[in-house]
Amino acid sequence: MKLLTHEVGSLAKPPWLVKTSQGRELDESDIEHARTWGEKVGVEGHEELVESLERGGADPDEVALWSSRYCVRMQESAGLDVIWDGEQRRSEMYAWAIAHANGFEPRGTVRSFDNKYYSKSAAVGPVSLAEPYHNAEFSSLQPIAKATLKIPITGAYTLAVWSYDEHHTPKSGRLGAGYGRRQEVEARRELTLDIARNLIRPNLEALIDLGATWIQIDEPGASTEEDELDLFVESFNVSVEGLDCRFSTHLCFSDYDLFFPALEGMSGCRQYCVGFANYDTRELGRSATERPGYEVISKFRDLPYEPVLGLGVLDIHTDFVESPELVRDRILYAVDVFGDPARIDVCPDCGLRTRSWEIAYDKLRAMVEGTRLAEAELEA
Amino acid sequence: MTVEAFAPGMYPRSEALVQATRDLDRGRTTEAEVDAQVVADMEELVGVQQSAGLDLLTDGMLRWQDHFRPLLQAAEGLETGALTRFLDTNTFYRAPNATGAPRLDGPLDERFSPAVPGLRVATLPSPYALSRGTGVSATAMAENVLRPALTGLDAELVVLVEPFLAHDDASPGDLREPLEALANGTALALWFPFSDAGRLLEQGAAELPVEGLGIDFYATHLDAVPEELDKLLLAGVVDTRSSMPEDPAELAAFAGALAGRGVERIALVPNGDLQYVSEPVAREKLARLGQAKAAA
Repeated sequence: MKLLTHEVGSLAKPPWLVKTSQGRELDESDIEHARTWGEKVGVEGHEELVESLERGGADPDEVALWSSRYCVRMQESAGLDVIWDGEQRRSEMYAWAIAHANGFEPRGTVRSFDNKYYSKSAAVGPVSLAEPYHNAEFSSLQPIAKATLKIPITGAYTLAVWSYDEHHTPKSGRLGAGYGRRQEVEARRELTLDIARNLIRPNLEALIDLGATWIQIDEPGASTEEDELDLFVESFNVSVEGLDCRFSTHLCFSDYDLFFPALEGMSGCRQYCVGFANYDTRELGRSATERPGYEVISKFRDLPYEPVLGLGVLDIHTDFVESPELVRDRILYAVDVFGDPARIDVCPDCGLRTRSWEIAYDKLRAMVEGTRLAEAELEA
Repeated sequence: MTVEAFAPGMYPRSEALVQATRDLDRGRTTEAEVDAQVVADMEELVGVQQSAGLDLLTDGMLRWQDHFRPLLQAAEGLETGALTRFLDTNTFYRAPNATGAPRLDGPLDERFSPAVPGLRVATLPSPYALSRGTGVSATAMAENVLRPALTGLDAELVVLVEPFLAHDDASPGDLREPLEALANGTALALWFPFSDAGRLLEQGAAELPVEGLGIDFYATHLDAVPEELDKLLLAGVVDTRSSMPEDPAELAAFAGALAGRGVERIALVPNGDLQYVSEPVAREKLARLGQAKAAA
């Protein structure tokens, strides 16, 4: 019994990439980072990068390409079956997409939580694709990846709900007028479907033309508005309908109960990659009471089109490295609930971008080791 | 009719402070350097408020990671819980979690309530918001955590932010006893950001023992305001979920409409924390808030 393991999205950018991109001088520890990780995860020809960094004046685009290779090899070295490059060449999951779209203007930086922030733009006109924005990275990773590639792309609803909308929202007359949710939802619907049809879908088509077989549509904003879940589902369907590719989605840090029954209509989605570990205990155990973070998974099991559940088993908000045994118990509990291990994949709750490479690597290796322990028990 | 203007709640960090805090997390700068940038941000914010002619000044809560964090870190019996979405925004907070009987032994560190050069508006969570999901009563939170925190605040007005009451279908009557437990002579206002307060007002929110009520008028109809309201009405007229700048004339006209319902004391405020827009956008909104006050 083989359980697929995969990364979900972003990984931290290494100091030698960050500093090179910012035109800052590297110190010896940065170069040592490149040398050590190149050796550790087996990046072919990494000495060339190290020499380039030592010389100084390295081309930031070339360094970013190296960083992609490092992340691919890091995940492969950790034993993952399905990988991506941790978004090393993207500015950020929202900003990257918006930067390649027409119809938006930047409006500055807003807090996500604590000292984490995101740049936020406003829709100011009709949306369209300026240029396909994942083709270059896909083309560069195709020839080097040894594991299966899964491309993450930010979904239409998240792009809409993370943006201000100056195009569809009235500029005056809302104050004290009972401008209610009905009007807000209608405005969001126009923006979201505009993005789905005219930004996401053509971008997906471009990737499929290049040979992409698995595209993960990231929707961390999906549950932002409880009464817009049908819109999220509709936008997913509009984005992918009739396209020949395996489509999955990633949801995180939500009250997942809210998604039901809306997800019953999202039949084009073959896998839900969902974060649960953040809500779970760190104690071992395989019963419902010992796995409170996973209470909702039976609802994913009961979806009529029987999607796979990408089970989040790593809390990405902490340096705590889950033990393989804890990962094993989370998996075995989920398998027990689903009654079919073929419907369980194993992944982190979300991208590990906020963790150091050391912590991310240790967590991923523990995840793979825990998966092997679970497989052994399932085969016994 | 009197019309004031001020901005309770959390103000966005400048790009420089954003970068400094990011660098701190990545080990690229020091606490002292971040602190220096906080002070610079606060001085800038004070200047913006003074230029706008605002009546009460805020420090912007620039060191607060969310509305609960300093209290959770300082009080016994409380800790940070799961990362939780703040209403329907894209900003998250650590939900309070009780590990025992909560108790705050004294005021918060002054770093979390720095002095400002003028009359001050301060912000704390409401007892209901702080107790939500913890299993601890709102009254116990008021008596044992918020009251000690309140004691240390030198403020003309303390705004208690209550984002959840309207969304939870809870009754404003549930807040009466906790608010009575907070009474210590400090003027208090209860602020319902990003909420349709119509139901709460119907159910007697205007009778609660506070000096002022904060209403989001992008979610609440004007007609929901009780006629002849005898409290300070913190009228949420600046939409902090929108990047569009408000028209001061429209805000001033709205103040006139409130006066038409017999509201005698009006304070024009944002409808939620300004941290939901970027600092340059917030700065423009504060300027327009001041212009609206002048025009009212």
